[in-house]
Amino acid sequence: MAKFSLYSEESNRSPLSRLWRNFKANHLALVGLWMFIGLTLLAMTAPLLAPYGIDQQHSDALLIPPSWHDDGDVHFILGTDDLGRDVLSRLMNGATYTFGLSIVAALVTTVLGVVLGTLAGINRGFKSSILNHLLDITLAIPSLLLAIIIIAILGPGLLNTVWAIILALLPQHIHSIRNLVVDELNKDYIGAYRLDGASRTHILFRGVFPNIYEHVVVIFTLALSTAILDIAALGFLKLGAQPPTTEWGAMLAENLGLIYLAPWTVGLPGALLFLSVLATNLVGDGLRKALQARKAT
Amino acid sequence: MVTRMTRRLNISQRYKAITIGAVATLILSACGEVPQTKPTSKTQGIVYCAEANPVSFNPQVTTTGSTIDIIANQLYNSLISIDPVTAEFKPELATSWQISDDGKKITFKLRKDVAFHTTDYFTPSRTMNADDVIFSFSRLFDVYNPYHFVHDANYPYFQSVGMDQLIRKIIKVDEYTVRFELFSAESSLLSNIATDFAVILSEEYAMFRASQDKKHLFDTLPIGTGPYKYKHFLRDNLVRFHKHHAYWKHNHAVDQLVYDITTNNTTRIAKMLTKECDITSHPSATQLEALSQRKDIVVDKAVNLNVGYWAFNTEKPPFDNALVRKALAHSIDFDKIMQAVFYGNGIAAQSILPPSSWAYTPQAMPYYDPVKAKQYLTEAGFPNGFEMTLWAMPVSRIYNPNARKMAELIQSDLRQIGIRTRIVEYEWNTFIERIGRHEHDSVLLGWAADTPDPDNFFSPLLSCTATFTGKNPANWCNPEFDLLLTQALDTNDLKMRKFYYQQAQEMLIRELPLVPIAHGVRFQARSAEISGAELRPFGGVSLANVRKGTQ
Amino acid sequence: MLDYLLRRLSLLLFMLFALTAFTFSLNYLFPGDLLTNFSGQVNTSFSQSQLLEEKYRIEDNILVQYSAFIGRLIEGDWGVSLSSGQTVSSHVALLLPATLELCFYALVVAILLGIPAGIITSAYHKKWPDKVISTLTLLGFSIPVFWLALLLIMVFCLGFGWFPMSGRIGLLYEIPAVTNFILLDIWLLDFPYGGQAFLDALHHLALPTIVLAMYPTTVLTRFTRDSMLNVLEQNYIKTARAKGLNRRQIILDHALRNALLPVIKQIGLQFSTLITLAMVTEVIFSWPGIGRWLIDSIYQRDYPAIQGGLLAVSMFVIFANMLADLTHSLLDPVSRNQSHGKV
Repeated sequence: MAKFSLYSEESNRSPLSRLWRNFKANHLALVGLWMFIGLTLLAMTAPLLAPYGIDQQHSDALLIPPSWHDDGDVHFILGTDDLGRDVLSRLMNGATYTFGLSIVAALVTTVLGVVLGTLAGINRGFKSSILNHLLDITLAIPSLLLAIIIIAILGPGLLNTVWAIILALLPQHIHSIRNLVVDELNKDYIGAYRLDGASRTHILFRGVFPNIYEHVVVIFTLALSTAILDIAALGFLKLGAQPPTTEWGAMLAENLGLIYLAPWTVGLPGALLFLSVLATNLVGDGLRKALQARKAT
Repeated sequence: MVTRMTRRLNISQRYKAITIGAVATLILSACGEVPQTKPTSKTQGIVYCAEANPVSFNPQVTTTGSTIDIIANQLYNSLISIDPVTAEFKPELATSWQISDDGKKITFKLRKDVAFHTTDYFTPSRTMNADDVIFSFSRLFDVYNPYHFVHDANYPYFQSVGMDQLIRKIIKVDEYTVRFELFSAESSLLSNIATDFAVILSEEYAMFRASQDKKHLFDTLPIGTGPYKYKHFLRDNLVRFHKHHAYWKHNHAVDQLVYDITTNNTTRIAKMLTKECDITSHPSATQLEALSQRKDIVVDKAVNLNVGYWAFNTEKPPFDNALVRKALAHSIDFDKIMQAVFYGNGIAAQSILPPSSWAYTPQAMPYYDPVKAKQYLTEAGFPNGFEMTLWAMPVSRIYNPNARKMAELIQSDLRQIGIRTRIVEYEWNTFIERIGRHEHDSVLLGWAADTPDPDNFFSPLLSCTATFTGKNPANWCNPEFDLLLTQALDTNDLKMRKFYYQQAQEMLIRELPLVPIAHGVRFQARSAEISGAELRPFGGVSLANVRKGTQ
Repeated sequence: MLDYLLRRLSLLLFMLFALTAFTFSLNYLFPGDLLTNFSGQVNTSFSQSQLLEEKYRIEDNILVQYSAFIGRLIEGDWGVSLSSGQTVSSHVALLLPATLELCFYALVVAILLGIPAGIITSAYHKKWPDKVISTLTLLGFSIPVFWLALLLIMVFCLGFGWFPMSGRIGLLYEIPAVTNFILLDIWLLDFPYGGQAFLDALHHLALPTIVLAMYPTTVLTRFTRDSMLNVLEQNYIKTARAKGLNRRQIILDHALRNALLPVIKQIGLQFSTLITLAMVTEVIFSWPGIGRWLIDSIYQRDYPAIQGGLLAVSMFVIFANMLADLTHSLLDPVSRNQSHGKV
């Protein structure tokens, strides 16, 4: 970089590109991002890519180990389960359920959180106090427990799980977005804007939102990692997705009986879960660090 | 100084099956130690991993196999029992018995000095006598017995075999002699008296509870004559029995017997590997391989009189139509089930009776043919199929080690002929209760025999009386079929009985209220140190002679 | 301080009100017969249901029903479990201590590991200890608890055979239940037998505690680190450094006290997370706690039990949070001035 440049180029870059620059510097975060993109693509296209159908039973090929094993078969790269179903195809399709549905749940939560959080942020007085009290109560109850309560009412099932997780994550997000909005509203430039005669909508859309959306993305990644863990945990507890749905948690629970005979049917779904949560957390962490770094410069 | 009494009972006694099949269990005796009141180390007890909570502590009121395994042979004795090898009757609490010439009177001489359990909640003042026997049996059918209506007067086994209709009265001849007077001579009565269900309870204890006005506790805090006495039951957790020091038969029972209630199959095996269990019931076929590789674990195997079946609720349309049932039966690939569910450790059913029963005659079973199935379905008026529920029992039994998996296989087979299936599962006791109320469309269930008598496969399962007591999962009541069963029971001529049962078997396969799928082989895994855990071809497990340690 | 206590107390009452109102409404929300949901008694005869209706005031308006509900809760009459036929309160009294015990040990482990780890990372900010620990916490943060439990079981129970994989204690040890906290109960026993039992109980505790402690440890590490870094940037630390104090003195004497204040509050919040994670852990390790029971009740659609379990767990979480809040404000007077209801 030129030492004697007259104009500092960097400071003229847009905040977004500075953010990207900071983010890029963190290799782990970048790896996480690639994994994240890969999983997202897989979740969208899994039924097309998968070599076999999820329920296709090969009765002549039960419990075949992965292909690198001596007894493996190249036709079933990750082996088959006890009904002769291709593990790879099931895992790929699982991405749609576990990862895809988690993204949907996290998106819905974030959108609702932004709407309700903003409403909570711009209101003051009695209404806000009641809302905060209610949030206090639900905040005290962890999301998985709340999801279990909601499942108890709605009954087990994958769709119910998604609803339950959205409802369970919502209070935390309303709360953090409200805090973001309130913090932003208290800043001087908003005060100046208000004095200029800007309307409430104006303040929100021109003043507040452009300044908090990056933080909302961080909140989204948090929601996503919680959603993945919760969907999988509920599936594992047999309260969420029911077999033969290929949700990873449910697959893990279903194959638990094969743990000695075919450990790969238990290990692989868990490993994928771990990787997807890790990817999400890496991206979230990287983003948060990049935001901090940008603030510092 | 500790005195040691070493006693050798029966050295390596090998059973060879003649009529029933093969049981290969070694019974070894070991050294018995002087009883100590307080356990000081872990070795003085045995942990048995059981697959379900006991539903009751009185075998009279239940037919659930997992419950009978835990309670029947441990807490109680029957008047007589059936020898697992010769299938002959053996004296237990009755020393001898006599049948009158017309077959309508049976007189039992009772054993003297049989002590009931002394526990925290009851101390008996006398030993067993005729009153106890009369009380135990009259509870089943006598409405004047103060305990008859406790538990809603529900005695499923006895009602399903019609024993409550059979006994006219029971007379106390003297303190140690009782006489059963019957309405008609029935060939299966003695074998029913020899089942694990027909136990002898304490009349004195019953009166004690009645005087406290706590009759409901009678079946939950049991008093019996068996080798172990009740100590503690923690639901979903454990059942603890202590040794009954005054047991009439022998004094070498272990100090403590604990049932670790572990519903999950895999967990049960894992506990076996980590030595948290000494004996495990029903290891699943998938895990047998893993177990048999271990030197410290022995897998016992016993041919068992049982059948796993797929029953339709024949009162509910469209299952009231025999064509629909036939279509469903023809759409299932049974070979695949035998391989994927039983891993080759089962016998594909050729009739409702297992091959080891003397009345067994192989039938022309429905075979896998989706085209034919579709054809039957169209004939029945369902060319586009329909939707149905398939209830899969949540526990692993001999006759069906993994009902969930079987259900999934059936589900995918049925989809091919256009039938959409929903698999329903509940916790075991709830499941049985709901099946009893006939809430299902079809169910994967099974039956393990309690006596070698073939009637045990028909009357308790498919008779009209069984429909009323909720024990008939097919909800099937056919007077013609019932007539065959009565005719078979009314005669003592083995040839004639075989003839009637043959007809009954034929009729079942023709009408298909249920599709027999397989006869399972009963497994039990035990640590190599354990001996004397008796796996029997019928009825529950007996742990009276179980020992730990090799000597 | 008194004013603060009163405000917290009113908040607590409000929360309890909302919680009980919610549990009460569950009776209506759950599928099934209202009277059965309330009482847990099925197939009642006509005269029995008359009595029950009288007791549960079904005929009256909703407010009367609710107050009757509260009355019963206080009396300890939580209904009867559908599946076991025993009272829900007896189940809760038996099972909650087991869960609390597990959570408590996990929390202790998390504090003992997490906070020092957080301090180390901040002391060596951007150096290798920081990087190693931060990566480890990220991994620990991302691992699904049930998978971790299965891996540990496969390696340590089935592979090496070092640890048992289920329950609180070897079942042959007969421990009379006094407090239902097993280590306390064993403490009350004679020595030789009790000593063996104590060791065995610790043995059983090891793996579930490690699994359960994983998540809160990582959270505490990250939180302590952030909080320490925040404090270390402040001017008084710079002053201290300028005075020539070494790193140990700065961290232990100056930074730590201030940095740990928010951590204390975080510890209280962890309790609620722990209780949820304990539900999963209990299922895997067959730990006879309230979480496993609650999940079993959901399978069995045992509505009175679900209600009772939820009420007990949520109430406990609320009290734990309140306690953390109080401790925090006891140590940090500034936080007492926070406006009412603000979070």
